[in-house]
Amino acid sequence: MKNLFGYVGRAFFAFLGILARIYFLLRETLVQSRIVLGDRVKRRQAGILQRIDEVGARSLPLVMTVSAFLGIAFTVLVSFQLRELGALSYLPGFVAVALLREVAPLITALIIAGRVGAAFTSRIGTMNVAEEILALETMAINPVRFLVVNRFLAMLVSLPALTVIASATALVGGFLYGNLRLGIPLDTYLRETLDVIMFKDVYSGLVKSVVFGAVIVLVGCDRGFAVEGGAEGVGRATMLAVVSATLTIIVFDTILTTAFYG
Amino acid sequence: MITVTNIVKQYGQRRVLDGLNFSADAKKITYVFGTSGGGKSTMPKVLIGATAPDSGEVRYGDMEITGLRGRSLDPYRKRIGVLFQNSALLNSLTVAENIALPIREHTALDDNIVRIMVKMKLELVGLRDFEDLYPGQLSGGMQKRVALARALALDPEIVYFDEPTSGLDPIIASVITKLIKDLNRLLGITCIVVTHAVDEAMRIADKIILLYRGKVLAEGTPQEIRESADPLVQQFITGSPDGPISFHASSRDFRDDLLVG
Repeated sequence: MKNLFGYVGRAFFAFLGILARIYFLLRETLVQSRIVLGDRVKRRQAGILQRIDEVGARSLPLVMTVSAFLGIAFTVLVSFQLRELGALSYLPGFVAVALLREVAPLITALIIAGRVGAAFTSRIGTMNVAEEILALETMAINPVRFLVVNRFLAMLVSLPALTVIASATALVGGFLYGNLRLGIPLDTYLRETLDVIMFKDVYSGLVKSVVFGAVIVLVGCDRGFAVEGGAEGVGRATMLAVVSATLTIIVFDTILTTAFYG
Repeated sequence: MITVTNIVKQYGQRRVLDGLNFSADAKKITYVFGTSGGGKSTMPKVLIGATAPDSGEVRYGDMEITGLRGRSLDPYRKRIGVLFQNSALLNSLTVAENIALPIREHTALDDNIVRIMVKMKLELVGLRDFEDLYPGQLSGGMQKRVALARALALDPEIVYFDEPTSGLDPIIASVITKLIKDLNRLLGITCIVVTHAVDEAMRIADKIILLYRGKVLAEGTPQEIRESADPLVQQFITGSPDGPISFHASSRDFRDDLLVG
């Protein structure tokens, strides 16, 4: 029992330590982002477009494929229930609201946490192990500005954009099933969708994606900076980064959904 | 001039620096060597402000380094260059970009000027044709030379070398040693070299500091070190396996250790 208390206590303080680190990383990232955005030369050197390509453009095929299939699967499930109730005409609106508010932002963030957040941790972790970060510090170069700011800014642009594309793709997937299998005509499907969705459905999804993007970058980079112990440490940190980012995203998703619609 | 006064650094129960005192003169080459585990790896980290000692003081001129943290270290770091043991080049950048990095960060020079400066630094280390390659495409010796060019990018007053010749073939090791000598003799750069390479130290050092168990065992010119009567010093410079320095790092008696279980 004593051991259990000890374990819980240590885990709690370790968690507080991580929260404090993330807070300081966020603060430094915001300060350095302002410096980079305010200076033409530093903005060019930061390579933000290159990062947008890495984070956003290259994730596009995966995000679109997953969303299309998810849109279809979701529509299949919802149509099954609605048909039982004789309420199939509600299908387009129901699917659209669920996809825009919840499914597309969440799934896109989880995909990017796995694909890009993990890459951030392993990249920064490997640099840490190879003393590249220490080398930056000894050249009086701020590692946060050099390694985090471009990823942070690229993510804040890419994740909302990917979320919009994922929502659209999932809606198309849903429409294809509704049209080809259930025989709902295009104009009816479109009208039903547009009648139901509100501007709030779109922007709540975008707000979520901005928060999720910040979580992915901060958790991913923090784990990279905290790596100890060579290749094994990098592997462990990468796994922890994906687990922590996934959990944090789910928690923030619940908080934001409740705040918007609760 | 760098003055190290009574530096203590402990990791858990192990005290790696145990009241370290020495000074390194400006515009001179100071070689630091010692046994593995003698504090040789920790010492340069303390000197560059990467590791805070538990107590003691490092001063560069009238600047106290040990009390500085984070960005307050920047003025000092802009005056030093560091050559890391594993080169620590940024693998995602080309050779030229690696060398240009500190120049771009700390000056507002035009791209063309930066390009010329990079070429000059690369010429200094004999690698002018390699500017577009990535570190991963270079041999270990070439990486060391590029890292040296990067360390020299901002024309530092001091360059710290951490094991500059370890893992290199004898010819490249001699090239690096000659570069260290040239930097000091031609450009007046203060060089502080942490190494295992006794012969190299004896050849070019102005001063040698021998570390043993976190303390300075001996210091002086190569001649003074060579003529030292201390058997520990003699064992180290001759590299003899027999002598007062045991290769066993364990502190407990072997027999007791076996009988405990």
